Amino acid sequence: MHIILVEDDLPLGEAIRQALERLSYAVTWLRDGREALTAMRDQTADLVLLDLGLPNKDGLDVLAEARRSQVNTPVIVMTARDGLEARVRGLDAGADDYLVKPFHLEELSARIRSLTRRAQGLAANRIDVGVISLDIGTCEAEYRGKRVELTRREFSLLRILMERAGRIVRREQLENSLYGLDNAVGSSALEVQIHALRRKLSFDAIRTIRGVGYMIPRDPT
Amino acid sequence: MKRLSLRGRLLWMIIAVLVAVLLPLGLYSYHRTLKETRELLDGRLAQSARTLDVLIRHAGLDALRLPTQGALVVPILSREEEEQLLHTRTYETEVGYQVFDMHNRMRLTTANLAQLPLPPAPVSGFENRFFEGYGWRIFTLVDDVNDVVIRVGERDDSRRDITHALQLDLGLPQLFGLPLLALLVGWAVKRGLRPLERLQQALTSRSPGSRQPIHLDNSPRELQPVVDALNTQLERLEDALERERRFSADVAHELRTPLASTMIHLDGAMAAALPVDAQAALTSAQSGLARLARRIEQLLALARLEAGAAAGQRGVVDLITVAMNVIDELAPLLGESGVEFAFAEHDDSLKIDGYEAALAALLRNLIENAMHHVPMGGQVQLSMRRSQGAVVIEVIDNGPGIPPERRAAVFARFHREGSSGDGYGLGLSIVQRAAQLHDAAIELLDAPSGRGLRVRVAIPGTPLA
Repeated sequence: MHIILVEDDLPLGEAIRQALERLSYAVTWLRDGREALTAMRDQTADLVLLDLGLPNKDGLDVLAEARRSQVNTPVIVMTARDGLEARVRGLDAGADDYLVKPFHLEELSARIRSLTRRAQGLAANRIDVGVISLDIGTCEAEYRGKRVELTRREFSLLRILMERAGRIVRREQLENSLYGLDNAVGSSALEVQIHALRRKLSFDAIRTIRGVGYMIPRDPT
Repeated sequence: MKRLSLRGRLLWMIIAVLVAVLLPLGLYSYHRTLKETRELLDGRLAQSARTLDVLIRHAGLDALRLPTQGALVVPILSREEEEQLLHTRTYETEVGYQVFDMHNRMRLTTANLAQLPLPPAPVSGFENRFFEGYGWRIFTLVDDVNDVVIRVGERDDSRRDITHALQLDLGLPQLFGLPLLALLVGWAVKRGLRPLERLQQALTSRSPGSRQPIHLDNSPRELQPVVDALNTQLERLEDALERERRFSADVAHELRTPLASTMIHLDGAMAAALPVDAQAALTSAQSGLARLARRIEQLLALARLEAGAAAGQRGVVDLITVAMNVIDELAPLLGESGVEFAFAEHDDSLKIDGYEAALAALLRNLIENAMHHVPMGGQVQLSMRRSQGAVVIEVIDNGPGIPPERRAAVFARFHREGSSGDGYGLGLSIVQRAAQLHDAAIELLDAPSGRGLRVRVAIPGTPLA
């Protein structure tokens, strides 16, 4: 896995580079906006960690220009600016995720995993989140090394939740993905699927945020 | 207190000045006119007496009537009779004449004065007499050359007709003229103050918190300095706010960046195989750093909230969207803390007029506070609903709660409930400030289950949609 890290603050850049290398990622560390844009256009990286306040070219401009030149590499924006605004502007400019400084290493690696999971999963045909893994080829799951048989719906549901592990997935979003927009289904259909999944994995593997949606923690039990 | 109105003030002052000048002038000319009229009428009376005198001088008194024949009584129509006859009212007054000889014997008289005797020693001049129910103006002419005394009288009430008509002629225009004048003055004042009204409109039609310079077409010389001064102040305010915004953005960057590198380094160190005591020390360092980070975030949130309030960044805010964003941000805390979080039954949107950053900070701090005070396996519930004339936000937990007697104290800035030292008191003061910006009331109540705390924030105003 190759990650481009764009960060002009030396101690922070150094800290992240070391941490990522310990996690066995190949890291290219750049400190300048223009260099970053050139590197992103080469499309050699699997992921870009982009700071917003950069010399020569602002991070948001780098991102917007890269996206305009069809660079589709996942980008996580790191910012010391205020959360809400940075998030909105970052996501508008084409970021896939954002992190407000300071953040824990765990948080960073979880976001990286989450963004690369899809790409990696497609390549390896499997998604891993802690003790749960999902085989995309066979539609089978493994929980604590034990094989679990899933129905097609259960598999789709688990896949969405695992691809976004650590984030809350709204229930409307899940319903739309599972049943489509026009298929009128009972309001309890989703609950039934979740219940079935919990029985096959564990109750705590899927958390309910009542009134909002569901999530699989980054480290499910 | 009733506000002084510039227009009303001007109007009343102009009317007062007009009245102060016009009223004495009018009264003066009224009195002068009456006096002149009276003198004119007196003059006419004297004139007729002299005419009579000249006639008698040329004809001789005896030619008129011999002394032995007694007084000649000339019949004359009274005022009333004449009116009945002619059906008109003219300014012809009722007059009477008398002629006396040297022995004061009445030789000639009109019927209306027949009973008015001559005083023993008549003198020339005017006098007022009351006679047979009427007041009379009498002129006596003592002619020593001809040895006659001539008296001419005029009835007062017929004179009064003339003065009454004069009074009306003089008074009526004033009576109708003054209100008309007041109306015209009112119109003129309103018209004259129109630039001021335009300035007022320009100011009130601005969106709240707008710091765009004020522009007024054709503003008069007196108003332009006011507009200029206002614009200068607005510019200064804009500069100050911009500086403050930049400063707090810089502070945010300067604080968060070194914090971030320290945090990553610490996390990295924790991952290594270390002796137990080193692990424990690092864990303490980590939690200390987390507290520091949290305090900084809270102080920044407070600064952001104040900056937003100062800049008047008020607008339509969808509370549900704000809540969902906050919940997304808190996902790790909500989903992995072992506390069950729920967003109770809510509409798809709940729009109010408010400060987005402040409302987000309010929700975030309420939820975080509750989550941190509830033990593992506990529950926290956020609810939002429309109530009469308000939107009510409630966060209910089933934690240890706060005893009623201590509830008032928890809102002090930097106050900490309990000894955990997590700085949640600062969080509550953010909640309080955010509520204050929306005129919202915060209440700390018992949770419905009897255990735990219910924080209720009621934001007055009807939801927008």
